[in-house]
Amino acid sequence: MKEEMTLNLLLLCPLISASFIFLLNIVFKNIRQSIYSFLALAGSGTSAILALYVSYESYFNHKIFNSLLFTWLDIGDFNINIALKADALGAFMVLFVAPVSFLIHVYAVAYMDGDKSYGRFFAYFNLFIFFMFMLVLGSNPIIMFLGWEGVGLTSYALISFYFHDIQNTYAGNKAFILNRIGDFGFLSALMILFVEVGSYGFSFTDIFLHINNINPSTLDLIAILLFVGAMGKSAQIPLYVWLPDAMAGPTPVSALIHAATMVTAGVYMVARFAPIYNMSLDVSLFISYIGAISALFAAVIASRQYDIKKILAYSTMSQLGFMFMALGIHAYTSALFHMFTHAFFKALLFMSAGAIIVAFSHKQDIRELRGLRYSAPVIFIMMLTATITISAIPPFSAFISKDSIMSFLFASGHYDIFILAFIASLFTAYYMFRMIFVMFFSNYFLEAKKSSWFMLYPMIILSLFSIFAGLLNLPELFTGNLNISTWLNLEDKPLEISHTVEIILMLINTIAILAVIFYTYKKYAYTDKILDESEVNIIANKFYIDEIYDYVFVKSLKHFAVYIDTKISYKLIDRSINILALSYAKAGRLFSYIENGNIRFYALYMLVGLMFGFVYLYVLLRLSL
Amino acid sequence: MQNEIIFILLAIITIVSSSVMIYAHRPIDSALSFMVSLVSIAALFALLNASFLFIVQIIIYAGAILSLIIFIIMFLNIKDENLPDETHKNKWLMFTSIIILPFTYILIDLILRSDIQTNSKLPENFGSIKDVGLTLFSKWVLPFELVSILLLVALIGSVSLAKREEK
Amino acid sequence: MIKSYMILSIILFSIGTVGLISRRNIIVIYMSIELLLNAVNLSLIAISSDLGDSSAQVMSLIIIAIAASEAALFMSLFVVLFRNRASLDANLFDILGSSK
Repeated sequence: MKEEMTLNLLLLCPLISASFIFLLNIVFKNIRQSIYSFLALAGSGTSAILALYVSYESYFNHKIFNSLLFTWLDIGDFNINIALKADALGAFMVLFVAPVSFLIHVYAVAYMDGDKSYGRFFAYFNLFIFFMFMLVLGSNPIIMFLGWEGVGLTSYALISFYFHDIQNTYAGNKAFILNRIGDFGFLSALMILFVEVGSYGFSFTDIFLHINNINPSTLDLIAILLFVGAMGKSAQIPLYVWLPDAMAGPTPVSALIHAATMVTAGVYMVARFAPIYNMSLDVSLFISYIGAISALFAAVIASRQYDIKKILAYSTMSQLGFMFMALGIHAYTSALFHMFTHAFFKALLFMSAGAIIVAFSHKQDIRELRGLRYSAPVIFIMMLTATITISAIPPFSAFISKDSIMSFLFASGHYDIFILAFIASLFTAYYMFRMIFVMFFSNYFLEAKKSSWFMLYPMIILSLFSIFAGLLNLPELFTGNLNISTWLNLEDKPLEISHTVEIILMLINTIAILAVIFYTYKKYAYTDKILDESEVNIIANKFYIDEIYDYVFVKSLKHFAVYIDTKISYKLIDRSINILALSYAKAGRLFSYIENGNIRFYALYMLVGLMFGFVYLYVLLRLSL
Repeated sequence: MQNEIIFILLAIITIVSSSVMIYAHRPIDSALSFMVSLVSIAALFALLNASFLFIVQIIIYAGAILSLIIFIIMFLNIKDENLPDETHKNKWLMFTSIIILPFTYILIDLILRSDIQTNSKLPENFGSIKDVGLTLFSKWVLPFELVSILLLVALIGSVSLAKREEK
Repeated sequence: MIKSYMILSIILFSIGTVGLISRRNIIVIYMSIELLLNAVNLSLIAISSDLGDSSAQVMSLIIIAIAASEAALFMSLFVVLFRNRASLDANLFDILGSSK
């Protein structure tokens, strides 16, 4: 009973606070911001504490939390329960989703201060957490899909939060529509899965028990359709174009939704359906390649961006690519662990970016934000910490998580993917330190507004996390014992590689990254080289992917639609319908002469009908006799 | 044999008087020929041993209804200019007769083909007042009561219809 | 024998129908309707005496009663119509079918 309550509260707290905020926001015009802040923090704080409790119990006592809320559909043998389940994977997810959400809430209280849609923002924000918990805690794919759609919806609402600028609305639309393509894949996969094994029950456990009944080609199809869903949500090639535009939303939104939590839903989903991917190796390899290409592609684009949030957006996409590479070679724990550390350092990066944006009168171009080191020292330290972490320099957390991915990639024998990943990680160091050196290492000085401590405290906490989170899954090499792997106990491929090779790999990685950092320092620190870069370059224009998509999909469809509208719809369909309608009207006018109101005539018509009827009957009778 | 001759005579009278009724121009002619056909139908009833119905037909139809019609015709004081202009009456009659012909022909044909047996043995007192009355008050009580209500409704309806509206 | 009664009844019914449809004089139309009822009565009584069952006679008795009530209504209708239009033309009473 107590377990159920814990889980239900964990899910429902954000929903309750979201509803309250919505109500207050609708009913009362002027309400003090502190009430909204209190409600939002209470909702997310409670679920953060409960989430810590759940993952504590799960980690130390291997407890699985279950909760059956109600039966949604009950048709014959088939029923779908609204049921929650926090197994190791679910508990692991809430372990970072809930605290990071809470910290970003605290941050957002300061960031959104004075905004006229303050209440609306927090309502959406808490609603988002609710759906995210639903996604990770659902005990069957239907609930997961509900959460999946819900985070998509709130993401749309938050991207177009400043809807008075039409560009933001377009960005929201773009995200929503591209995600719809992914959702189509996810939904189709669920339908096929349901047709194949739905008769045994449709919770995750039931599905994985009967997965051997599906024939391999169908399983491949399911796997690939599921991955299409993951592509949309986790911004992989070719469905990635929405993520950079999604930075139109407020920065806390980018930090929470488009860096730490929602975009990792695709990774979570693939890990959740691990039994399926373990059986369809070709699709897994395909995922790896997509991940590798996305990682490198995004890293290359990021190296020529100037908008601070766009750089971070491409960086997110690149890191997600790393996770998918690991998923594809069945190193699920490595992928999830990288996701775990990524949540911390990417949230930290975005929060620092947000702090900079607030402190320097909403400038986002790094060419204008120069010489911040002495005007914003705390932010500088935070950002530097996060940058070192993301570049995977020992002993920071991302070093451990990314190194684990690299080792698995090397051990899997797919050296092409390994090399792509290696180059991508070099590019990561390059574009991150480019940003740092341009903004902080220069001879300029820019006056700053003082940052609120509400913003800085969460950042400090997150920076500690991003430094030390790696300790949780320390490999044997460093006398660790892979705590997370043992806890999650996923169907990982074991790492078949000797410690010597591992150490050599680490050294090569680290040295190469340090070399890249040194090169970047030489190139960008204390110089104005950044101003000389041309903007007509193919990389600076993001390989024209947006333009190509626009041309291939949007324009062609538009022309096609216009053609149909003018030619087929107007000339063919409209006219034929008009002719039909006119002829009906004429026929009606003709027949109205018959209806002259004279009863005698009506009797005559009746008689004529009677006559025909009798003749018909008589002929029938004659024929039958 | 005697019955057959009487039947044929009555049938001819009925058909002719009915035809005259639908053909006559003035309503009073129609009404009088209709009375002839009603009386001959009553005689046909008597021929069929329905003595009570014979009396009823004479009293109600030929007596009450027909006299009502004639009374109304006279009461309204219908002149020739009040009658409708029926220049195409003959064409209409021809046309309708042609249309009705298949109907009549087919029904007669079917009757002739059918194998209805003539029952020569009739129970005693058949068609007498007692016989009909017993059937009426044993099996047909409810319709009888309903008819009484119908008559009442018709009474009220006709009075309220004919009432002159006060201005 | 019964067949000839039935045939007579059919012929009377046809004559009544022809009168009902072709004539414009409402009094003649009314009498045609009465003729239809009589034709039905005739066939009912023929069947009754054929089967030796007096139920059909009761039925025709009821039909006669209905015809009587109908007669009362029709007469008052004639009075009203003639008073309003000063004519017995059935074609004048056609407001059923027009929006004139």
